[in-house]
Amino acid sequence: MPNENGSVYGLTILSPIIDDEKVTPSHDLQIRDYLAHLSAREDSPFAQTQGTHLARLVVMDDVIYVGAPSCEEHLKSKYLIFEANLDGDLDTYLSNLATSIPHHLDEVWKHCVGYPGAANRQAFVDYMKACQLDTTFYFAAVNDKTVTQTLRALQTQSAVADFIASHQGVDSATLQREFIHFAAHLKALPTPKPGSMGPHRSIQTGGHNE
Amino acid sequence: MSNINGKVYAMNAITPMKPWKTWIVRAFFFVLGHIKPLQKDLVDLSFIQFARWVVVKRNSFPYLKKGQMQEDLKYDYLLFFSNFNGTWNQYIDAFSAVLSNGLNLIWRWSEKFPGSVPVTIFKEYIARVQFDTDYYYTAYPHATANDVKSAHIVQSSVDSLSLAAAQYTPEQFAAAYLRFVIQVQCHLGETGEAPIAG
Repeated sequence: MPNENGSVYGLTILSPIIDDEKVTPSHDLQIRDYLAHLSAREDSPFAQTQGTHLARLVVMDDVIYVGAPSCEEHLKSKYLIFEANLDGDLDTYLSNLATSIPHHLDEVWKHCVGYPGAANRQAFVDYMKACQLDTTFYFAAVNDKTVTQTLRALQTQSAVADFIASHQGVDSATLQREFIHFAAHLKALPTPKPGSMGPHRSIQTGGHNE
Repeated sequence: MSNINGKVYAMNAITPMKPWKTWIVRAFFFVLGHIKPLQKDLVDLSFIQFARWVVVKRNSFPYLKKGQMQEDLKYDYLLFFSNFNGTWNQYIDAFSAVLSNGLNLIWRWSEKFPGSVPVTIFKEYIARVQFDTDYYYTAYPHATANDVKSAHIVQSSVDSLSLAAAQYTPEQFAAAYLRFVIQVQCHLGETGEAPIAG
């Protein structure tokens, strides 16, 4: 199945955006405006949906003309691209999206053709699948760990570095006792919230020279 | 526009292909997907968290009726989405230097693709076919692909040692702890703010 790599699923959705000359600002601009004000950190809608490793939303205005002698052509619709890398089963993920962040989904996808709303979960899942494209080749650097496992592992990595640094030259009995305590403490820690561990960065544009 | 979140960069690119050529691309990806050693360079690059190529046939753009006009295109399109660590220039430089043969096999079927070497012309082509991301989320913005791989190695080592720790005598534990430190010492790099590229 080309959409899957190990236990990770690569979701690619292209939803046609409503083209209505009477609407100002246009639907694609309204999507862009909403997305520009949406948090990408721990209060991101995707942080509230279990199992999202990375996700992006992109308004694709048109295909790109690469120059003569190729033919110039244009799309008749603009498309909202939703690209996500997620844990496990697609139906479960889409259902969870509809349940956990219906308001955000509606605010974005209400500008797309045929969007039924997130309140009708089955209609939402069917709509998303109707807009789905199959991946031709999917690469995942780590393909056997869930988001939760990865967040815990990153937390552990940081704690272990501190533990090792602060326990150099300690006698064997103390080291053993404190390591057992450390491991138990680590296990009891809550999993960090998705999207919460990053530094704030003021520049997010990512121009070609960044 | 938001191509960057923490240490990850979201790249989107779209290139036109003559329809008969897309079967060659599909065949190449089929082979690449089934013969894992061919992915070695991609894995070794080690700064790509997730990447995908999607071939969209000219008549396969989602069509939902309900007032939507059906596309009427001459070309099929190759969509490329990548989540990589580092800067745009570093990424394209590394792609060109390490994966030039693979990239040529994938994109030479796209219109006007100049080849991945020399890199300047390749960069001009990528810049032309790239389009920007409007919203970008990652669950672990402070971590690179290597950080994630290392963190899982550390987690696994901690789990193993903590399972046996209580059974050891202090001397046995000290020896096991030393082996543990040797095992994880290369995987403790600090995560956090990405360095600023000059």
